[in-house]
Amino acid sequence: MDLIVAFITGVTTGGLSCLAVQGGLLASSLANQIEEDMQLQTGKGGAQVKFRPRLAQPIFLFLVAKLIAYTLLGLLLGALGSVLQLTPMMRAVLTFGIGIFMLGNGLRMLKVHPIFRYFVIEPPSALTRYIRRTSKTSTSAITTAFLGALTVLIPCGVAQAMMAVALGTGNPLQGAAIMFAFTLGTSPVFFSVAYFATRLGATVEKYFTRIVAVMVIVLGLVSIDAGLNLAGSPLSVSRMISSLGAVPAATIQNPVSAQNGFTVNVGDTGYTPKVLHLSAVKPVSLNWVTKNVRSCSLSVVVPGLDYQKVLPATGTVKMDIPAQAKGTVMRYSCSMGMYTGQLVFDLD
Amino acid sequence: MKKIFRVPDMECPNCAMHLENLEDELPGVKRIEASYKKMSMDVEFDETKLTVAQIIQAANAIGYHPEPKTA
Repeated sequence: MDLIVAFITGVTTGGLSCLAVQGGLLASSLANQIEEDMQLQTGKGGAQVKFRPRLAQPIFLFLVAKLIAYTLLGLLLGALGSVLQLTPMMRAVLTFGIGIFMLGNGLRMLKVHPIFRYFVIEPPSALTRYIRRTSKTSTSAITTAFLGALTVLIPCGVAQAMMAVALGTGNPLQGAAIMFAFTLGTSPVFFSVAYFATRLGATVEKYFTRIVAVMVIVLGLVSIDAGLNLAGSPLSVSRMISSLGAVPAATIQNPVSAQNGFTVNVGDTGYTPKVLHLSAVKPVSLNWVTKNVRSCSLSVVVPGLDYQKVLPATGTVKMDIPAQAKGTVMRYSCSMGMYTGQLVFDLD
Repeated sequence: MKKIFRVPDMECPNCAMHLENLEDELPGVKRIEASYKKMSMDVEFDETKLTVAQIIQAANAIGYHPEPKTA
């Protein structure tokens, strides 16, 4: 893939898509900076001064660390191939765990209970001492950079698609270049959204930490829900909501007959039909059909079959499913856990 | 000498780092390890050069109110 295409993909779709997944880490790191600035600028018991958090530097550090981490990941992917791919369940556990961490961090900021103090990344004293004595770098900068590098563990669907491309190059330098170009493309979007969104918040000085805390909690809950979706759990809120509108099996008319294979149409906002009824007891084939799709729905995960695939923007990908017992329900989602669907094996 | 303080007014992880900065500013301090999670600060110091009261005073000056823990 051309590096310019990778860059443009980052600017156009990667930025916002990845911000939805990784925004929580950026918010967490900015929250630390805001807390510190609030203390410095209000003088802890001294005279109140106008509160202006210094946000450009932490956002920049976060993005530089992210850029370096993804470039190194591209290097590894190019070199090591598919060995580094996470299984659907590993991805689910990781996403769920990150959600719990963010939720705890938000509750810590709201001072709900001292136990939530444990939901924070504290660099070891030895490290901060070393840094303090060897450079003028602030300790919060280390945390910010560390969190930026951590985003490599929670790539969005578009980033995963790009990682697959890096993997396919089979060349460390080409893999690194692809990931560098893509991540660089996402950076202006990240910076603009994070910077202006938080500047806006600075006008409501007194409540700002609380607003950030609530944002972190909401993102944490979204991440937990995504983790449940990725694990194929029926307990996720988004699945429960979509199941409210589910149609009984008897009324379903699948658009394509079983002889030609069943079809799921993949769109930018999810999968159609949401609930697909398939033949039970015998092997069936399922066609994932895409047409000019650009969202994370392209990266589809079916945990029950340990199946994950990055679909082409336009085309049809056939998936062979072995015979399933009548009544089997398989839940699937995009690799971010945002868009969900169900395969129900209950037709004769 | 080593003294452990409870610091109830640490509000974020950076508070621990601010307190550890005293290590470089207070003559007689050998080592400070502060923990936001435990709300505590361990200070190792030379008692011939520094007193507990002076440590508390220095922390007060940067906005914290450590209380010595009794063993």
